[in-house]
Amino acid sequence: MLNEWLLSLARFFDAQNWSTQIHESIYLYAWIETTHVLTLMVFLGMLFVIDLRMLGLAFPNVRASVIAERLDKPMMIGLTLMVITGVLLYYAIPVRTTQSLWFRIKVMLFVLAAINAFAFRARMQASVGSWDTDPKPPRHIRMGAAASILLWAGVVVTGRTIAYDWFDCHKELPYAMYWAAGCVDEMAAFASE
Amino acid sequence: MDLYPIFDWLDTSLLADISKAYGGVFAVVQMFHLLGMSILGGMVLVGDLRLLNVVMKDTPSEVVIENTHKWFGIGLATMVVSGIFMSSAVSMKLYYNEMFWAKMTALTVGVAFFYFVRRPLLSNSHDAIKPSVLKLMAVTSIAIWFTVAASGRWIGFS
Repeated sequence: MLNEWLLSLARFFDAQNWSTQIHESIYLYAWIETTHVLTLMVFLGMLFVIDLRMLGLAFPNVRASVIAERLDKPMMIGLTLMVITGVLLYYAIPVRTTQSLWFRIKVMLFVLAAINAFAFRARMQASVGSWDTDPKPPRHIRMGAAASILLWAGVVVTGRTIAYDWFDCHKELPYAMYWAAGCVDEMAAFASE
Repeated sequence: MDLYPIFDWLDTSLLADISKAYGGVFAVVQMFHLLGMSILGGMVLVGDLRLLNVVMKDTPSEVVIENTHKWFGIGLATMVVSGIFMSSAVSMKLYYNEMFWAKMTALTVGVAFFYFVRRPLLSNSHDAIKPSVLKLMAVTSIAIWFTVAASGRWIGFS
C-alpha cells in the first residue's frame, strides 16, 4: 500500500515540467549536487568537531558545551541547505529514487540519526554541568557520539550507492527485494506468474 | 614532468583490479573519502570562521587553531589514501580529465597554503598579526578548500 502511494507521488513529481527541466539541464543538476556535497561538508564537518569532542578525541581543553553551542548554528545552516538540495535531487529523478533500495535505507538512517541527535542533545544538556570541562566525557555521551558518527557514515555510503543499479527494479531480484525497493509493477508481475 | 607512467602503472595495479571488480568496496572507500573531506572541511571551517570572528568568539583563536591541526592531518591522509584507491578504477580517464587536474592543483595549493603559510603564521600570537591579514587568510583558506571539494564533484560530470 505504502509502496503504491510512494510510487504514485513519484510519478506525479516526474510528470511536472520543473522536474524534467532540472534533470535534463546541462548545469543545474550538477550545481545542485555540488551544493549538496559542499553543504554536506559543512554539516558533517561541524558534526564531526562536536562528536570528536564528545568522544574526548579533539578540543580537550575547550568546554564541551562551548563546542556544542557555538557550532550548532553553522551545523544547522549546513543541514538545512543539504536537505533542500537533497529534496531537489529527489525531485529531479523521483521514480528511480523512490524505487532505490539504497535511498530507502538512507532515509531510514537519516531519521535514526536525527532521533539520536535529539536524544543525544537532551542527554548532554541534562548532564553537561558535571563533566563539561573533562577532556573525556562520560561513557553514555561517548556512545551517543559514536552512534552519531556511525549513522551519518551510513547515510553517506547509502547516498553514494544510490548511483549503482545493483538492486534496480529492472534487475531479476527475489520478491522480498522488489518489495523492499518498492518495485510495484515487478511485484505484480511476480504474483501473476 | 609527465605523470603518464604513474597513471599507466596504477591502471594495471592490484588496487585497480580491486576497485574495478568490487563496486561495494569502491562505495565504502568513497564513503571514507567523503568522511575524510568532511573532517578536513570541519577543521578548516571552525578555524577559519574563528579567525573571521563568526564562531567560538569566547575561545582564544590560538586554542581553536591549535586543536584543528591534528584532525586536519587525519582528514587529509584519509582523503589522499582513499583518493588514490578511487583513482585506480579510472586512472587513464582521470589523466585526460581537466577537472581532475584542477582538483589536484587546488589540493596542492591547499596543502602548501596550510603547511607553509597558515600554520607557521598562526603559530605566533594572533594579537601580533593584523586582523585584516587573519581575515584574508581565513577567506583564502575557505575558498581553496571549497574549490577542492567542488572540483572533485565535477570530475564526475566532466
